[in-house]
Amino acid sequence: MKFDVVIIGGGLAGMTAAAELQKAGLKCAVVAAGLSLHNVSRREFTAAGGTLLAGDSVVSGRFDGDRLAAVRTGKLGSVELEADNFILASGKYFSQGLVADMDRVYEPLFGLDVEYDEDRSTWFDPSFAAPQKFLEFGVKTEDGCALKDGSKIVNLYPAGELLAGVSTAQGDATEAIKKTALAAVEAIRRK
Amino acid sequence: MPVNHDFDVIIIGGGITGAGTARDCAMRGLKVLLIERSDIATGATGRNHGLLHSGARYAVKDSESAEECIRENKILRRIAANCVEVTGGLFITLPEDADSGFGLDYQATFLEACNKAGIEARAISPREAIQMEPSVNPTLIGAVVVPDGSVDPFRLCSANVTDAVLHGAKVLVYTEFLDFIREGDTILGVKVRDSRTGETAEYRAPVTVNAAGIWGHGVAAKAGVKIGMYPAKGALLVFGHRVNNVVINRCRKSADGDILVPGDSVTVIGTTSTKVPFEECDHMEVTPDEVKLLLREGCALCPSLASTRILRAYAGVRPLVADDSDPTGRSISRGIVCLDHETRDGIKGFVSITGGKLMTYRLMAELATDAVCRKLGVNKTCTTAETPLPGSMDGRIESVSKRFEGKPSAGQKGAAGRQGDMVGKIRFDTDADKQLVCECENVTLAEIKYAVRELGVSNLEDLRRRTRVGMGTCQGTLCIRRAAKALAEALGKPEMAEKLAADYLDERWKGMRAVGWGDTLREMEFMQRVYKFEKPYSYDEV
Repeated sequence: MKFDVVIIGGGLAGMTAAAELQKAGLKCAVVAAGLSLHNVSRREFTAAGGTLLAGDSVVSGRFDGDRLAAVRTGKLGSVELEADNFILASGKYFSQGLVADMDRVYEPLFGLDVEYDEDRSTWFDPSFAAPQKFLEFGVKTEDGCALKDGSKIVNLYPAGELLAGVSTAQGDATEAIKKTALAAVEAIRRK
Repeated sequence: MPVNHDFDVIIIGGGITGAGTARDCAMRGLKVLLIERSDIATGATGRNHGLLHSGARYAVKDSESAEECIRENKILRRIAANCVEVTGGLFITLPEDADSGFGLDYQATFLEACNKAGIEARAISPREAIQMEPSVNPTLIGAVVVPDGSVDPFRLCSANVTDAVLHGAKVLVYTEFLDFIREGDTILGVKVRDSRTGETAEYRAPVTVNAAGIWGHGVAAKAGVKIGMYPAKGALLVFGHRVNNVVINRCRKSADGDILVPGDSVTVIGTTSTKVPFEECDHMEVTPDEVKLLLREGCALCPSLASTRILRAYAGVRPLVADDSDPTGRSISRGIVCLDHETRDGIKGFVSITGGKLMTYRLMAELATDAVCRKLGVNKTCTTAETPLPGSMDGRIESVSKRFEGKPSAGQKGAAGRQGDMVGKIRFDTDADKQLVCECENVTLAEIKYAVRELGVSNLEDLRRRTRVGMGTCQGTLCIRRAAKALAEALGKPEMAEKLAADYLDERWKGMRAVGWGDTLREMEFMQRVYKFEKPYSYDEV
């Protein structure tokens, strides 16, 4: 299956971006592993003819040089979702967009470069109420694109809480998340 | 400064040893004062496995401790039925143990030693062991069944304090020992400070008992007495659910992380043993290396621990009496040390009780009380081995929960399990009283009110020790504001709610930080999100 854009993640960032792109006439698919609670964007997206793969999740990607060519999902099996561009909005730890083990933080789907502090002792503030550094971690970007082993993936745009410095667990970050989604939309539409 | 002469004996320390000694002294008719600088069960009492040893662990190397354990094990099952869970235990032999000289030959030695110490132990086949405890490492080559169990140390300590009070003892928590009042070589009493108000006071009694655990080193020093103590830190991990139903041990020489104990809704792995400086005893942090070690050894007992969420980590300090020749602290006997400082050091009116284990507390209390009675010329025998504790008098939970009219709710059953036959004092008058405040542990508003009324609670940590509020899988994430509001109102200080919740969250956060990765980190992000998404906080809607 071939789309203009495949959006991975049906949270606030993923759904906002998907609705905007679909309304702008691009053919989009959203792979939403969990519940999509963002009803307004979801309705806009499906009303505009977008494909929502609810309850499915991306399990692997096929790269072609500096591009992500296609992804596979748990339910579609060997059928690939190909696209010109991809938005990765898989969230932070809770939704497992990021995974932390004892001595590192990584992006489990594509192994993208992650910005984090190797010194674990800095991750937490002893006061629960204080800002927590581990919530600042996230994937690195260059010109809005993801990095893998230091090189740019030119058609993969991370958005939302997956990004370093964006987190709703530090206070309401709704606007900041929407902003990252719209930045990804802009970058794709400019192409 | 007020001076009070009304006591026969002053006990310093509200851990299980002090609480047990207060109970024993009070039951023998003495006028008792117990002082504790924080809350009851805050030191090593509340920071261990909660293992009701069968004694098997000590059988090969220390038959005296083993015999003590099995004797007290049987007594506690009788007098503290409500605090004890008779789970049974396994000592397993793994293929790698055989390579290091602890194979089935050692198992035979172990069995013989157990039986000699009076511990009922029998070998079973690996297949039977897996049937008995499906979570056990399936590669085991042998297993021995022993009468291990688990014990809730908070409940046990609270029951002893309650019974001491019922027998006329005065218990002052948040009362810090400052110094002794002495005249020449005689201890006449203590100077204390209320750590909440800052007020100081003096209390006098012909005998003072030092039952301050590892802090007893400092207490003794104030009397000019040296007890060579060895602060051995033990770190433990709590897992997110009850993985095993039977205690699992390794059948080999005692080592780090080789006991897995099920307790209430969770499972605990421990412990490590590291010598720490006395200054660190008040601020124990679990290190990444300790966590790694505990996980590695825990997975050898029970492989599914590798994929089980860790709730938190904690550490306590064993009050071992030092033997400078062994640097690891493992060769020291866990034996009881009862010191009469008059015969030992020429200081009159002063007794120290230390060493020992959580589950030999009753025997320790008996020895200390015997020493006190000798000094006072009182001739009464100890009855604590026969007299059940409050909460454990009316037998089993089933008979306790029959006291409710109609079908007991989850909260009433939970309360019956925790408070035993004291549950009759919990007043489920209104529908609000029956509502659950903590859903993980089934704690109702009525039980919180009861704890404030009867059990001397002044903050959420105190409440946790008596009701398990916030100790379950969510670690207070979903309930702690409700609990804070309920507690603040029951205390008559509704304005305290926010502070109570904040202090509790900091304490939970401390235990989670040490294991902050994987699923625990996911929980931590969720916890932050629940409390920080919307600011400012409002308690009005709780």
